[in-house]
Amino acid sequence: MKGVIFNLLEEAVIREHGLSAWTGLLGMTGLEGAWSSLGSYPDAEIIALVDAASVALGVPPQQVLQWFGRSAIPLLAKRYEAFFTPHASARHFLLGVNQIIHPEVRKLYAGSACPRFHFHDLDDGRLCVAYRSPRKLCHLAHGFIAGAADHYGETIEIDHLSCMLDGLPTCRIALQWMN
Amino acid sequence: MKYDPIPLPAEDLQRIEDLERMLERERKAREQAEAIAERGLRELYDSQVRLALLQRITDHANRSNNFAEVVDAALKEICGHMDWDFGNAYRIDRELDAAIACDTWYAIDSDQLFALIERSRHATFNRGNGLPGRVLRDAHPHWIDDFGTDTCYVHRAEAITCNMASACAFPILLGEELVGVIEFFSRKPMVDKDAILLTITQAVTQLARVVERERASAALLHDALHDAMTGLPNRVLLDERSRLAFERLPMGREGLAVMVIDLDGFKGINDKHGHHAGDMVLVEVASRFKSTITTFQRGETEGDGPITFAPWHATLARVGGDEFVVVLDALPDQTIVTDLAHRMIAALKPTIRIENEQVSVGASIGIAHSGSDYVDVEQIRRDADLAMYEAKSSGHGGVIVFSEALGCEARNRMALERELRDAIRDRQFVLHYQPIFSLDKSQRLRGFEALIRWNHPTRGMIDPGTFIPAAEESGLIVFIGDWVLRQGCTAMARLHERLANRYSREDLPFVSINIAPQQFLQPNFAAHVQRVLIETGVPPECLRLEVTEGVAIIDSERTRQVLEEIRAWGVRTSLDDFGTGYSSLSYLQNLPFDTLKIDRSFISSMDDPKSRKIIRAIMDLAGNLNLSVVAEGIETPEQGNALIEMGCEYGQGFHLGRPLDEASAFALIPFDEAA
Repeated sequence: MKGVIFNLLEEAVIREHGLSAWTGLLGMTGLEGAWSSLGSYPDAEIIALVDAASVALGVPPQQVLQWFGRSAIPLLAKRYEAFFTPHASARHFLLGVNQIIHPEVRKLYAGSACPRFHFHDLDDGRLCVAYRSPRKLCHLAHGFIAGAADHYGETIEIDHLSCMLDGLPTCRIALQWMN
Repeated sequence: MKYDPIPLPAEDLQRIEDLERMLERERKAREQAEAIAERGLRELYDSQVRLALLQRITDHANRSNNFAEVVDAALKEICGHMDWDFGNAYRIDRELDAAIACDTWYAIDSDQLFALIERSRHATFNRGNGLPGRVLRDAHPHWIDDFGTDTCYVHRAEAITCNMASACAFPILLGEELVGVIEFFSRKPMVDKDAILLTITQAVTQLARVVERERASAALLHDALHDAMTGLPNRVLLDERSRLAFERLPMGREGLAVMVIDLDGFKGINDKHGHHAGDMVLVEVASRFKSTITTFQRGETEGDGPITFAPWHATLARVGGDEFVVVLDALPDQTIVTDLAHRMIAALKPTIRIENEQVSVGASIGIAHSGSDYVDVEQIRRDADLAMYEAKSSGHGGVIVFSEALGCEARNRMALERELRDAIRDRQFVLHYQPIFSLDKSQRLRGFEALIRWNHPTRGMIDPGTFIPAAEESGLIVFIGDWVLRQGCTAMARLHERLANRYSREDLPFVSINIAPQQFLQPNFAAHVQRVLIETGVPPECLRLEVTEGVAIIDSERTRQVLEEIRAWGVRTSLDDFGTGYSSLSYLQNLPFDTLKIDRSFISSMDDPKSRKIIRAIMDLAGNLNLSVVAEGIETPEQGNALIEMGCEYGQGFHLGRPLDEASAFALIPFDEAA
């Protein structure tokens, strides 16, 4: 996992819950807590943090991930403004994820594994995002999508059609624009 | 996780505040450091990927001189690199002022993009229309950021159907010249235009290099296959096209014809006006031939009716100095070829203006048609050549179509010509000498007529009647004639040496040598005679040159000049075969001859009183003009006596002495005859 994700999590937690909440999480997980955006760190560390937050907040880890993803978007937008400005809408932004954001990640960290999103239109007119990753972080993706909708001032109804967490091979998330 | 704050001393609070500020500064410094490092890494990565892409495109460009092939690879590479969905290439047609798609395209998913691909791969965009047309107009890249909002695009409906969001097009510039356009479509927005521009601009530079090399190689190929002066296909291209046309022939091998055209009178223009003039004539002739063929092919279109092209094809080529060849194929009818040939000759009728002079050329055309007997097109070409020579030998051009009989005759003649060349080289000719006697009481041997024989290695001794016509036609007569002149004089010199001190100079026997018109009219003929006289030492008065009136018919003024020149040195001149042909009295009046030779036909028919009257008339004429007379072909004592009675001075013939080899002939001279 990229160091930037830890940085974003730290920033989101501190902003929303304060510094001591963050040090509390570090204490619970026993992690050192020094992550650089230039580095890559074990996936287990982010999972441990999410689990700790889930325990501390008394909400399921999926909800923590959704909250984190949604909160991370404004931070990302501040940090990587260039990813957002060319897009006029959340749809546009999301469709560009594979082509723009992921290559950007790879540029920084050669060989880094990025999830690939597959987009297709459903018969009912919704946009389906298919996701497949051993990390099974579909709820982080959910949060990012919601954050993107916030960013562009849109409302998207997000529906998990199928999920790897249920033992299915692919996560499929249906998006319905409400406005 | 909410705690009540524990009150702290003011200095501790101050210290915490300071530490937090310091921590914040450290964090900012770290973020800045990370941002700097990220930027550097990103740039490095970008340039590595771009360089790798350009390297691959450059490799393609280096490997091939074929634009379509390299563009195909480049479209694929660029689409792959940019993750674009569809790339399409256009060539610029300068005449139409349009960008024309060259059916070279790449699509990631051709099935989904079917509508757009079909609309694009053969599309033509006029200046200003669509993306390629805008690039053609402005020679700089153009973008469509959103097909939803850009309503100007020509194929917008197809682009939207295929879910394309954006597009761009780039000029392929060769120097200042726009030679092509490449256009890309993507279902995603094209965001980083600067990076795209940088990459594609460098990629199209490689494509332009291919166009440049393609043009250079096309120009080389064109030069290698075309005649530089007339721009017509040359022999190499003609051979290739003929071969292909022959291979395409149906069963029975009908429908192809070869027309060989040789200009008449061209050499004269070259000699008289110089090579530059000759070149101008060739260019004009080529252009007339070309337009004649095109016009004929187009048929006589009546009024405003649609132009219909004939089903046959023609390749006009210049294959040598003034030689052209037309290969026609897919001919429905053989008469087309003859018809065209006559039109081509007619096209040469109007004079050609060169600087301030009008010149004209004609053409001799030989035609051969394909058929089952031919195994390759070269044979047809050779037969057309034969037919052309046949037309040429008629002396006034025209069209001759090859036939089997003609081929047989021509082949025999060509074989004979070949043998004649060998004979000249291998010195197979010998001279025989026929004595010429005074017909007075003395019956003295006065000289010899040198007569050529061909001592053929397999056929034995051959008379001149069999080979002189072929020698004359092929021009070899000039070489043979010069040999005869020198050989006759050399032999005479040997004889004179033997007779030295025994004969006075005026009693020395003479040698009479036949000169063919072509030989006589050679520009250096008189000089050649003089050289032979000097080199052999034969006294000029012992050399008699026999010419027929044929020379005078060709160029009487020149004949007169040459005769006068050689007579001035003392050489004697005879008009041979008198009484046949024109026997124009004006020649006798104007041309300086010493002797008339009465043709053998009058002697052999001397029984006929008419012949006798003619002989008498000739002798009267000769007497009045102060010419001596030699009667040829005296075969009987009666003929000899009759001629003596008529007062003929000299005679030769079987009755008096057959032609003999040098030793036997010269042995007839009484060795001890006192001077």
